[in-house]
Amino acid sequence: MVVDDDADTVELLTKRLSAEGYHALEAFDGEQALQKVAEYGPDVIILDIKMPRIDGYEVCRRLKSSEDTRIIPIIMLTVKAKVPDKVKGLDIGADDYIPKPFDYREISRRVRYWSTVKREVEERVDEIRRLEQELIKSERLAAIGQTVGSIAHYIKNVLFGLKGGVYLVNVASKEHEPDSLQTGWEIMERNIGRMSDLVLDLLEYSKDSEPEYEICVPNEIAIIMDLDPSLREVILDPKGIQQCLQNLVSNAIDACIFDPSEGKRWTVHVRTMREDDRAVGFKVSDNGCGMDEEIKGHLFRSFFTTKEGRGTGLGLLNTQKIVKQHGGTITVDSEPQRGSAFTIRIPFRDVTTGEAIAKEGR
Amino acid sequence: MKKVLVVDDDADVTKLVSKLVERAGYEAIVAKNGVEGMGKVREDKPDLIILDVVMPKQSGIRMYRELKTDELFKDIPVIMLSAIAPKSFFRSQQVLDEFRGQSIPQPEAYMEKPEEPEELVELMKKLLG
Repeated sequence: MVVDDDADTVELLTKRLSAEGYHALEAFDGEQALQKVAEYGPDVIILDIKMPRIDGYEVCRRLKSSEDTRIIPIIMLTVKAKVPDKVKGLDIGADDYIPKPFDYREISRRVRYWSTVKREVEERVDEIRRLEQELIKSERLAAIGQTVGSIAHYIKNVLFGLKGGVYLVNVASKEHEPDSLQTGWEIMERNIGRMSDLVLDLLEYSKDSEPEYEICVPNEIAIIMDLDPSLREVILDPKGIQQCLQNLVSNAIDACIFDPSEGKRWTVHVRTMREDDRAVGFKVSDNGCGMDEEIKGHLFRSFFTTKEGRGTGLGLLNTQKIVKQHGGTITVDSEPQRGSAFTIRIPFRDVTTGEAIAKEGR
Repeated sequence: MKKVLVVDDDADVTKLVSKLVERAGYEAIVAKNGVEGMGKVREDKPDLIILDVVMPKQSGIRMYRELKTDELFKDIPVIMLSAIAPKSFFRSQQVLDEFRGQSIPQPEAYMEKPEEPEELVELMKKLLG
């Protein structure tokens, strides 16, 4: 690509380069040059220094500071072959320098030389990238190799659980022990679950998936935790309740994001509470957009969502299902523009027997 | 009733082995690591200990050595029950013996998971009479 504000120079050079078999591009100022570089990705740039608005130095600086374009060789072209000008050009990353008035034969040799260099550099870069990919892959395989030992250990434990479960179920049916049947069956179920978790995690780890990038803007929502220190051991399904809380917290954050008010300090509060000796409470509250009566009425309906295509409309329904399975309740308190508060109460279970102690009434 | 202490961090293992212990007519006591295990040993003086190797807080290797160097508890029979290969366990004991200049006796039995539950039951009965 030839860049010069002097149309005669551009015409002369592009004509002669075309005659030599190059696909010659032309640009008459810095802005046009940058645009065409992005569009066509030239192999060599012959760049004049003195141009109006964006001059040759600036074009060179921008191209050399971008990961995508720094590989393109730049030959600086100028009337004055002064040493300070040359040094400045080379300092900002120009690869070569040809003084005006030039002899075309010199240009021709330099263009040929730099296009060969670029091709070779590109080949090396591709090679390095390929090797990098291979290295990542082999490191991952090595990591898998090292973990094979611990995977085997894990599986041996799971197998022992399965064998034990089968043994208990067998003796239970022979000796008529309903209690052993239940224990054996539970142990088997849990260990089958552990086995599938392991397989899924391994598959996830070995998958060749690319991260799904998107633009993420930091928000200014403060999340405040307020945990009741008097809470002791409780019996609940940790994965299920974690899912409920994740769901409520992400809803609360969305309520802050969707809130059109200005200059508000948005906060999401997560609180745990011990309620006498009857229940453990989880409260997730926000001071976001809040809900009117109509939205509140639709809350626990399937596929109802206010999140404009981002929600499945199943989050709260699922949360409610998990809470109900625990024999608990979920309540909502909300006012438009003031915010919402969701409270989950899970009745205590006996730590030794797992039986519910008191049923929560709605 | 004779007491059997089951030390394992895996809740399913303690549940399963306790069930086997109870079915065999003994009382089961459970601990989930070496520290808790030693506490139960002092508190309940079990007649047999079934001990895992890899556990958080205190491993079975350390708990075993602590037991066998304590005058009060060194005669309680121990069944090691672990997914660790016996070779690795005995090697670690040998290294520790040499390092500390001790000579700790080997456990009464070493069972590698997944051992057949019947085998464990039979061994338990044999050791407890």
